[in-house]
Amino acid sequence: MTARPAFGDFLTAARSHVGAAVAGHQADRSGEHVQEVSDSLQHVIIVMSRYLQDIAPVPASMPPHDSPPLTAWGHARLTARDALGHATRHLRQHTWRTRAPRVAARSELARQLDAAALALTAGRDLLHTHLASDPRGARQFRSEWGLVVCSPPAERALLAELAWLARQIAAPCADVALANRSADAADARRGLRAASGWLQALSGSVQAAHRAYPVSAADRDLLLAIPVNAPLPRPLLDGSEPVTALYDAAIVSAERARHAAWVTGSQPAWSPHLTADSLRHVAATSTVTSHHCEILLRSLADRIAGARTTGLSTSLLQGADAAGRARDGWLRLARALNQVDTDTMRHLAPAAGESGDLALCTGRLAYADPAWTLSSGPGHQPRPPQDLAPHPGDIPLALAAAHHACDALTSQAYAQREQIRTTASAGRLLVPTRSLPDTMDVPRPFASALPDHVYALLRQCQHTAEAAAEASAQAGEAAAAIEAPSRVLTAARAAARAVHDASPNPQRPAEPELAATGQFREDAGALQAALRRLGVSNPNLLTRAADIDRASEQLIIEAAGRDHQPAPGHEYEFPEAEH
Amino acid sequence: MMDTAYQRLQEADGLAAVLDAAYAAFEGMVSVIHPVQDPASGLFTAFVMAAAAAADGRNALALAPSLPGHPLLTVPAEQQPWSGESPERVAKAVAGLSSLVAERLAPAAASAPDASDREACRHAARSARDICGLLSAGP
Repeated sequence: MTARPAFGDFLTAARSHVGAAVAGHQADRSGEHVQEVSDSLQHVIIVMSRYLQDIAPVPASMPPHDSPPLTAWGHARLTARDALGHATRHLRQHTWRTRAPRVAARSELARQLDAAALALTAGRDLLHTHLASDPRGARQFRSEWGLVVCSPPAERALLAELAWLARQIAAPCADVALANRSADAADARRGLRAASGWLQALSGSVQAAHRAYPVSAADRDLLLAIPVNAPLPRPLLDGSEPVTALYDAAIVSAERARHAAWVTGSQPAWSPHLTADSLRHVAATSTVTSHHCEILLRSLADRIAGARTTGLSTSLLQGADAAGRARDGWLRLARALNQVDTDTMRHLAPAAGESGDLALCTGRLAYADPAWTLSSGPGHQPRPPQDLAPHPGDIPLALAAAHHACDALTSQAYAQREQIRTTASAGRLLVPTRSLPDTMDVPRPFASALPDHVYALLRQCQHTAEAAAEASAQAGEAAAAIEAPSRVLTAARAAARAVHDASPNPQRPAEPELAATGQFREDAGALQAALRRLGVSNPNLLTRAADIDRASEQLIIEAAGRDHQPAPGHEYEFPEAEH
Repeated sequence: MMDTAYQRLQEADGLAAVLDAAYAAFEGMVSVIHPVQDPASGLFTAFVMAAAAAADGRNALALAPSLPGHPLLTVPAEQQPWSGESPERVAKAVAGLSSLVAERLAPAAASAPDASDREACRHAARSARDICGLLSAGP
């Protein structure tokens, strides 16, 4: 699998240090090191407090009067935050000496607590690689995992983990406080005892929430699977790779394609990466990748035939059917995109390259020819099912590769939709005029695409994305059934969707240029642009206008995703492209 | 349709005529490839990528300043459809046509007086070579 550090690595390390602290705290029963332990406990509590500060009880954009009543988990969050606040105050109040930085503690318990604090800090840093703030302090996302980091399932799992750590730590720290009899350390003892009590209170509150609404294993798996937001190296294939290496290559290229789609889907209208050449290339290569996904899922269904896996086989075959429909959708989109252009030409965005890589990697898996490429030409035989997964233990990994590819195709289809909408709204989506009848004497080689043309493209993207999502969901069901490593993708999609749907003003991806200048975007929506033409510069008014523009945009997209036909002769402007 | 496009390209004389014939050839390729993009065919991937390359080539030529504003020759209606042909025959015909497009555009890419014409021809010739490679190669 991909060797990208994940949050679980750091949480496991923290758990391990806390476990060692509990096992080894007998050595501190004399209470000799009460001051050191207080100091180290404070380190742990500070980082725990920061985690809790990251968890907002309601979305930041939701007005207070709209706040829903607190759920059990909402109550647990507030109690936990209060408990850590009290614990910190007690420790600070009674701790009169702190250890110098980088000086190792003499106490084993203190050393393990320090190590746990360090692991938790690194884990929080990892989560923050997906997040950013705009100049107004509103949360933004740096990757497609940002929505997952802020999702209720991940937050509940995080609270449960913090509560587990708190409960483990509380007992040995209380023991140290009770064991110490020195008059010099009376204050520290008092502080440590009180802090331990507050950690127990935190744990009790979260346990109560867990009893009411349990954290599932899938929630915990999702939290642990959150990877660091760092680019994965591009897979380079020379044709000599064993099939098991091709699984990894397909997964890595899918992750890269998914991230590239997320980035390109939120580009401003002036971006030079928004070109018809890129849109066409992504549509063509995604057609091919969908075709490969269908081959792979059918081949896997063949591979498991005979075993008592009827449900699994059904999921795989339904996934293959859906991948076939996604391929047909991509093909129709590719054909439609063959009829348009943009004002910036002859440029392929990075997302187009990633999409090509995904087609290549899935093709190497799908076909028997180890040197297959997109330009290999006709007549290539599919890889026999037995070769696709030579050993039974390879089946989950082969399925993970196909599942990741289907999931990336879903992201790419939605990103295409956003890019088409953005280019159309800026008047940058063009059609060649040369093929028009002589009666239409247009003195330029290209003219803006008509709204009906744009509408048809948007609808095609929506249908394609839905088919790809269905293929991904079916592959996800199969992945869950055989515990393939990609099963977390299903939970990640659901969590991200829940956050997106719950927010009245969905958080936008981080935009470095916006953060750097503090200016509003050039490609303002219709209302915001109208206000600016009137000379309005009040940031509050412009922000409200942008919110209305976004709501309009969302309405158009929702309408475009359904079967509503535009009225003949209708005209509409495509508002600001954001999500 | 492919035969007509091939003949026009062979007979084209002068930059404007070559650009016009090459543009029509790319348009013809797109229109004959789309109907034969059958997933059951071994040529499916090649046709999908070739259609995109043909659109790239056509759009590149559209920016050539010397391309006439309107087609110099309108294809008669009875010649327009090219349906019912086998994918293999379409592949062979398109590969041959794209090879000729690349061949005819190469001199223009090198010697056209206008830099924009040269750039358009270079890009379109590359697309034509890509199409030829996609549809000619065997396993």
